[in-house]
Formats: sequence, structure tokens, C-alpha cells
Amino acid sequence: MEIKIASANSVIIYFSDIISKETSTIVKNAYKIITSKNNSALIEIIPSYNSILVTYDIFIFDFDGIKKYIKPMLENISTQEEKNEIIINIDVYYGLDVGLDLQRVCELSGLSIEEIIKKHSSKIYDVYAIGFLPGFAYLACVDEDISIPRLETPRKKTPKGSVAIANNQTAIYPQDSPGGWNIIGKTTFELFDKNLDNLSPLNINSKIKFNSITQDKFLSNGGIL
Amino acid sequence: MIGFEIIKSGLFTLLQDKGRFGLMHLGVTNSGCMDEYSAFMAQKLLQNPMESNILEIIFGRVELRATSNTNIVTTGALCEFFINDEVKQNWQTYKIKTGDIVKIGKILKGQRVYLAVKGGFDIKKEFGSNSTTIKEELGGLNGKALKNNDFLPYKEYNNTYSKKLKQKYLPSYDQEILTLRVVLSYQEESFSQEQKEKFFNNIYTITSDFNRMACKLNGEKIESSLDGIISEGISFGSIQIPKDGQPIILLKERQTIGGYPKIGSVLSVDCFKLAQRKINSKIKFEEIDIIEAQKKLKDFYGTFF
Repeated sequence: MEIKIASANSVIIYFSDIISKETSTIVKNAYKIITSKNNSALIEIIPSYNSILVTYDIFIFDFDGIKKYIKPMLENISTQEEKNEIIINIDVYYGLDVGLDLQRVCELSGLSIEEIIKKHSSKIYDVYAIGFLPGFAYLACVDEDISIPRLETPRKKTPKGSVAIANNQTAIYPQDSPGGWNIIGKTTFELFDKNLDNLSPLNINSKIKFNSITQDKFLSNGGIL
Repeated sequence: MIGFEIIKSGLFTLLQDKGRFGLMHLGVTNSGCMDEYSAFMAQKLLQNPMESNILEIIFGRVELRATSNTNIVTTGALCEFFINDEVKQNWQTYKIKTGDIVKIGKILKGQRVYLAVKGGFDIKKEFGSNSTTIKEELGGLNGKALKNNDFLPYKEYNNTYSKKLKQKYLPSYDQEILTLRVVLSYQEESFSQEQKEKFFNNIYTITSDFNRMACKLNGEKIESSLDGIISEGISFGSIQIPKDGQPIILLKERQTIGGYPKIGSVLSVDCFKLAQRKINSKIKFEEIDIIEAQKKLKDFYGTFF
């Protein structure tokens, strides 16, 4: 673990220099410890793949002070995954009419649509990071047979609710946005909802599983083709 | 109803405040006033709490009609400013009576004008803030920029007191080259001594890619030994160096995480000065150590809070 300056009032804690499930678990455990202190002098705490950025109140901590505050907290950090039985199930309609790159994924993977659906919807995914857009969760790891690189030219508009793949990650677009990920399906699941107290049903500790649904079910859930 | 009727909203007028905090872990940006010096000074002149909201006006041409008495102040960019067609000054409070017309015309020097009202506008906060972030549809009035016929309610205020900022506290937008102080940080080790010298010894120009999210510069190319990095949290003022070697300073509506190498972070108080610079103006960077940097921030925030 290394604590470095990020700016005059923030530090970044690095836990490793690779992306892996083990690193992600350490980040999550560290994030839980830091947030559990409910210290109002910690203004923003942003976990990501291998790091946590902490913005702090400089009237409470100087750089040495924040290091001394954080370091002992994270000294014996567990590498064990905390039991998290809650799996968020998300219904996805995988079809060529909404999966704008489903054909491309078929071609590049050499798999049929059915095989792609099976591989994508049979895994339970971890959240490695949230960002890019509010509620945009980077989920990993996608089965390597369907790990397809980003589009060479990003789309000007990836529709809200698109379920997409980029290399070994998958994600849902919480709103219409430019994007270069391979769209394989669509969901009506809301990732960013102002009516929720905590804005998003997902957080860094969530586990996600996709369920394949028919076009009829998708439409009856309020889905738009 | 008591408040301002928006006769002309201007092209890009946003309700802002200190910003929205504690949600970056969900990808929600801070937003908030681009130039905190001008915004906080406006609140101070009106003796408002520093958390009060304010209008951030970027292209001028705003016209408001008061439906009740209050006090207002404008700060920031030098602009044409009238109350009932009478020329008025920035950095000075004015009493407003029912029916008065407040006009902000052309912006003459600087970029952003701030207009505050006594007690702030009475608008429900979203997730702790009135700051408008259009791409998130949060804050302001329905997450959008002001438009004609909107209404900004305030509480009637009948006392009059007149406050004017002392000359010595007025910011100048005239310097030919703005110096931004930088704390080396993040991936600074991936920039060789030679690259750092280039960065600190050259003059950069502000490009047209300058908005509430970021400011892209043009000048001597800087190279990192890293191709990219694993996406990580981005702090206010941090300087990304993408592959084209041209620095990007990340501002109030920055993405929360990102994967470009960063050489350091511009002091927030200098980002506020940057917010008043126009496209094509010149920038240079100067190194500052963390102890001195924190002292500067304390000096700044200590005057307001």
C-alpha cells in the first residue's frame, strides 16, 4: 500500500498496480473501513480498480496528518471477500433489434447468439469501479470467449439501458451517452434514479447477475426497442 | 410570488453553489461555482452564508424583473450592468425595489459574472446542493440552465445596507500570462526531469475545449513514460496528459475517474482565476510544494469561512 499526494487537499491510496479480483477485494475492504469512520473531514472517498482517492479538509489534516490517520487503519487489511449474499438480478433482452453489436460479437467470437447470451448471463459479476457517468458500473470479469475490444469508432449515442461489453468488462449505460462498448442487449433497470435516497441501487460492493428475458417480457416491463 | 422573473435568461446561466459532495463514489461530479473567489465574495458582501446559491452567467444578456424588495450584488467578470437602465458597478451591493429591472449586458473582461441575492434563491436542493449539472440533470431548476420565463423566488428583504469591496481586493483579469501553481502528484514520476522542465518553462494557450468540465491547453508536448493508467479518482485541478501531450486541467464538472497519466494538480485557488480567462489567453505553470500549497488554501478559505 502506498499513499501519495493527489492534490493540495487529496491523497490517493494505491493497493497494487494491477486489475484483479484480489486487488478489488482489498479496495472494497479498505473502502468499508474508511467510510465506517464517518469522519466528516473526509469529503470525498472514491474507490476504483486498484486505488482510493480521499479528499480531505485541510483545516483538520495536513498531508502528514492524513497519512498518519489512514495508514494504521489499513495496516492489516483483509484480502478475504466479505460474504455478500445479496445478488442484484437484472433482466436483459438480448436481441438483434436492441443489441446493436450482437452480430459483431458473434463474428469476432465465433459463437452463436445463444452461446453469447449463455456466457454473459451465467456469471455473477463484481463491481470494480463506478464512474464515467453517474451509476455507470464497470463489471468484471466477462468470460474470455466474449471479451471483445471496444468499437474502433465510438457511437455518438449509446441508448440508455444498453448492456455492453468492452474486453473483459461489462456495463449498463445509465443514460444516453457517446460510447464505444459493444452493445449486446437492453434493460429497463434504472442505475441512476433521483427518487432513491442513495441515488443508485448499485455500489462498489454489489454483485450483479443478468437474466435473459424475451422481447415480450422486455416490452411489458416498459422497454423501448 | 416573490422573486425574480427571468425576462431574458442569457445563453448559459446556471444556478450554482459550493457544489455537491459525497457522491463521487457513484460517479456524480461536484459541480459548483467555477470561480469561488467571486462567488464567495458576493455572499460575503451580502452577508449571506457561504453555502448560499448564486447565478453563474457566462455569455451575459440576462434580464430580470424583481417582484419584491431585496438586495443584490454582482461580482466576477467586468460587464455592462444596469438597474432600470442606470449603469451600476460590480462588487457593490444594491437595493432592489418591486418592479426594478436588472440587466447584465455584454461581458467586457473575464468570463463569468456572478449574481447573488440577499438570503439566496429559495430553491429546493438536490442531494445537498443547488448546483446545476446539466449532464446529470441535477440541481438548478429541473437540472437545466435558466430559460426565459423561469422564476427564481427569494424572501423579501427591506433593510438597506451598502457594501463595496475595497479596491485592493478586486481581481485583475489583465495579466498577459496567468501563472497556475502546481503540486506535483499522482504519476509525476512517469515524467522525466526533461519533460517537467518543458512543462514548467513553456507557455500554453487555452483552446476552445474549455468548459465547466475541463480546460484543454495547447503548447509544448509533454510525454509520460506510461501509455495509460488504471482508471482512478480525479481531484479538482488535476492535470491529465493524454497521448497528444497537451495538458488538460480538470475542473468542477470533471469525470470522477479517469485513465490518463497526471503530472500534478493546479491549486484550486488558481483554477478560480483560470475560470475567468478567455480562449487563446496564455498560461504558465509554477511548482509549489504541498506545505506552501495548503497554506495558500487555508489563507483563501479562512477569509470566507
